[in-house]
Amino acid sequence: MITRKTLLAAAGALAIAAPAAAQDRIPVGHLMDNSGATSDVGLPYGEGVRDALQWVNRTRNGINGRPLDVSGFDYGYAAPRAVSQYQAWTGRNRVVAIQGWGTADTEALVRFVTRDRIPYVSASYSAALTDAAGRSGRRGVEAAPFNFFYGPSYSDALRAMLQWAKQDWQARGGQGTPKYVHMGANHPYPNSPKEAGEALARELGFEVLPAIQFALTPGDYTAQCLTLRQQGANYAYLGNTAGSNISVLRACQNAGVQVQFMGNVWGMDENAMKAAGQAANGVVFPVRTAATWGEITAQGGQAQPGFETVQAISRMSDTTGSAWRPVHYLAGICSAMLMVEAMEHAAQNGGQVTGERIREGFYARQNWVPRGFEGVCNPSNFAPDDHRGTLRVAIYRARVNGDTSQGSVAELMRAGTMRIEPVTTIELDRRRDWLGW
Amino acid sequence: MATLSLHPAGDYRTSYRADTTIFPTRNSRIALWIGIAVLCACPLLLGRWELSLMINIGIMGIAALGLNILVGFTGQISIGHAAFFGVGAFASAWLHDAFHVPVWAAIPLAGVITAIVGLVFGAPAARLKGLYLAIATLAAQFILEDFFARSAWFTGGVAGRITEPLTLFGFAFDREESYFYVVLFCVVVMFAGAANLMRTRDGRALVAVRDHYLSAEIMGINLAYYRTLSFGISSLYAGIGGALYAHYLLFVSVEAFNILFSIQFLGMVIIGGLGSISGSLMGAAFMVLLPEVVQGFADLLADSPVDRALKIGASISYLREMAVGAAIVLFLIFEPDGLAHRWRLIKAYWKLYPYSH
Amino acid sequence: MDFALLLQLTLNGLIVGALYGVVAMSFVLIYKASQVVNFAQGEFLLVGAWVCWWFLTEWQLPFWMGFLFTLAFMTLFGLVLQVVVLRPLIGEPVISVIMATIGLGIFFQALMKWIFGVFAKPFPPIFETERVSVLGLEVQTVYLASLGISLLIMLGFAWFFTASKHGLAMRATAFDQQVAQSLGVSVPKVFAMSWAISAVVSAVAGVVVGVVNGVSSALSFYGIKVFPAVILGGLDSVLGAVLGGIIVGLLENWAHYIDSQWLNWGNMFQIAPFYALVLILLIKPYGLFGTRNIERV
Repeated sequence: MITRKTLLAAAGALAIAAPAAAQDRIPVGHLMDNSGATSDVGLPYGEGVRDALQWVNRTRNGINGRPLDVSGFDYGYAAPRAVSQYQAWTGRNRVVAIQGWGTADTEALVRFVTRDRIPYVSASYSAALTDAAGRSGRRGVEAAPFNFFYGPSYSDALRAMLQWAKQDWQARGGQGTPKYVHMGANHPYPNSPKEAGEALARELGFEVLPAIQFALTPGDYTAQCLTLRQQGANYAYLGNTAGSNISVLRACQNAGVQVQFMGNVWGMDENAMKAAGQAANGVVFPVRTAATWGEITAQGGQAQPGFETVQAISRMSDTTGSAWRPVHYLAGICSAMLMVEAMEHAAQNGGQVTGERIREGFYARQNWVPRGFEGVCNPSNFAPDDHRGTLRVAIYRARVNGDTSQGSVAELMRAGTMRIEPVTTIELDRRRDWLGW
Repeated sequence: MATLSLHPAGDYRTSYRADTTIFPTRNSRIALWIGIAVLCACPLLLGRWELSLMINIGIMGIAALGLNILVGFTGQISIGHAAFFGVGAFASAWLHDAFHVPVWAAIPLAGVITAIVGLVFGAPAARLKGLYLAIATLAAQFILEDFFARSAWFTGGVAGRITEPLTLFGFAFDREESYFYVVLFCVVVMFAGAANLMRTRDGRALVAVRDHYLSAEIMGINLAYYRTLSFGISSLYAGIGGALYAHYLLFVSVEAFNILFSIQFLGMVIIGGLGSISGSLMGAAFMVLLPEVVQGFADLLADSPVDRALKIGASISYLREMAVGAAIVLFLIFEPDGLAHRWRLIKAYWKLYPYSH
Repeated sequence: MDFALLLQLTLNGLIVGALYGVVAMSFVLIYKASQVVNFAQGEFLLVGAWVCWWFLTEWQLPFWMGFLFTLAFMTLFGLVLQVVVLRPLIGEPVISVIMATIGLGIFFQALMKWIFGVFAKPFPPIFETERVSVLGLEVQTVYLASLGISLLIMLGFAWFFTASKHGLAMRATAFDQQVAQSLGVSVPKVFAMSWAISAVVSAVAGVVVGVVNGVSSALSFYGIKVFPAVILGGLDSVLGAVLGGIIVGLLENWAHYIDSQWLNWGNMFQIAPFYALVLILLIKPYGLFGTRNIERV
């Protein structure tokens, strides 16, 4: 007993001594999933956030001369671990802002960050987080005044894809009513846009089929695909992250399912295309940034000011400059930079970087594109009662023509074996009745 | 065994009372009171992070003790302990939300509910033993997890449930500094309860069932009754631990109570020492601190060539899992009696120092 | 009722079930020979599939060569595990042995993620024609091949246990270790051999699943699916394991059929085998083909 006590006392003394040294650094929490169910997309996104914040420290000397003290934590996509880490951050590090990740943990933390006044930039785009003032009056949705995210919400992205699907059905001369089905795990993240999608699909004249469930982990989903084929669905929404979607795409290709898959923002990317091979051909999905890595690194193309900046950020963790950065990496940079600029705003007008002042920073600019990221990050608009940053949804299509098992993602993309091509951009109305779900 | 005893000159016990005492010497009793006093002073001395670690140790220790009663004392294996822990957590949150039961009453009630659930699962389990029981509880783990995800009325569904902090006479125990005392109180009560249980007829019957169930049956011990009872007691402890956990994190979700968590509980029992009450707490401390130690090593190595070659920084959570797996295997091979045994050896060594042979 | 779908799901269940059967068989092999319940069986699939993937993509070996190297590696892997970890635990209580295999399972699962990452990785194409049509269901050629391989492995096992010297030694050991030892059977050797064979056979299954779905940590879930299969068939019956595997495969797909047609609960597919497991344990704990343990005082 005595030895353990002494140890802990010594550790306590250290902990008390530590914050004094880091007085003028700005503590920031960074929650990552590098090993859990969504790590396939969590890894590149987390790298984007990390590299961007590191770049801010190195080239811009932090926020008005105060470097960021980023404390990263890999929580393995288990919401309770995120909650206990949050308590460590607020208790030990006294963070002023957090870069978060998943839907379950973000929604679990809403009350905490509201209580502690800590802006929380999540990678969960759950529409429930956009109702900043809690005015939608929907059951289970509470005010989330300190939650922000970069990009369209899951529900809005699905609404846009459904509008595209309607046009696509007419353009292809489809007969009868098209059939729509929601696919995904029984988990807050795939469930998040389910109701919104099914409601709009009915409104647009789709026949809505019973949802099909598959887990967030890869596996054999032949049975699900056989059901999908038997149902005769025309448009299927994939609510999971890439890892398990790949399994579904491959199984459905084998089962000979003819359906237009619509992925969510986390459902498709360059790595998933390589893993799924030709099964990924034709899948449409929303992209959050104005450019993809191929456009950014293209020689002789129309260079935008942001392209150079983003490549400089990429070199933070890849000195050779040869790594291929998937769409999520770029989205990670944009969400990190939103937080950084909001902090700069807080620091400019009087110095103190507190949670509340950072929050003010999010409302400071209209059509907000972080300085130096023009052409990469899309403009965002936040209002104190409406945290829908953007309602513009760029829909892209995955193209795979050939064997993807050999060669790296970079080689395959450069050779044109895999391509991401723009389909259309849908601008949704800022409808009040769509706020919060 | 004589060398491990704290009586240097041998055992001179003249009554059964002396034989079953928990603390054999006066010094050990004094040490206990001093230990508790020191722990009471901890919130004044330590930071919130250290306190949160100690709170976790306490909560896990209570649940691990429950599992130890089942595995270590009765010889029944359960690979579904985390599910029962979850039942306690959800039950407490549910009682408070649905019936406005105050939290201080919801915690013990959640323990009772979990004990009843444990009895329901334990009754058929009494027919099984050894690896059949292990496999059955593995199935129970998956079935209960599925039930948690499905029953929104009880658990809040997959989105989880936000819980309220414990309040007593208008004082909210919602900070580490205050909640520490709640956990400390429960730890003392639950551990004292278990230590005394093992001195009773029922406690000895459990051990008899473990050591040789046929002999036990011949001596008139009702096997089915005691195996079920053991399941119930173990679930009671898991339920109390789960309820404390729910009102500490202020959020419960089905994701927490997975198979890996169950395995960690078994790990605590193995590492602490099967059939040792204090060992349960040591095992819990080991399992809670192990990831922190791994993290510490990774931080030390950060930005060194080793780190870059092995990608340690980006793989920290695999390293944590590997450490758990490796610790279990290594303890089984090199220290099968656990930390409690090692602790006794250390005490015996220092008692006779420097003439330990 | 949609009979076309039911038929296809049944066929799918048979194909997947045969794979479960193969894994269950290698599980039973270890249990029969050394009385060890191997909770790390799924990790054998995982390790085997990743190693094979590594040979094929990083070393660019032709399939047959990479496959043979994988089998050689897995033989060694099984041997080393048995000698280093399981041998010191002979004579320890059941709980210790179970926990050791669980610990190994966690360890190797995390290790594989550390080495190979978290993305599902595809195998290079192995067969000229990727799929053929059977009764209206498009079936991967490799699945048919795996069905063939499963049958071959089962026949091999039958021969091994009835005619070969080592197989007979193994049966003798399973029957009574002391008697076997007195007849000149080296029990440690038999234990090691059973682990090696089990690792190799599991690796074959791992490679097959990897070729179809891509290699990922999901492979280790086969190790959990094995429990319903072996409990159904009886823990110590090789034939029972194969049948149990097929039944579990069918059960999953039929549960999914009921679910998709009427219930719409969503995850009966995953959970149905566990309900079956509990039921069997309550009604007939020694399975369909297992030997009843007669207890003597």
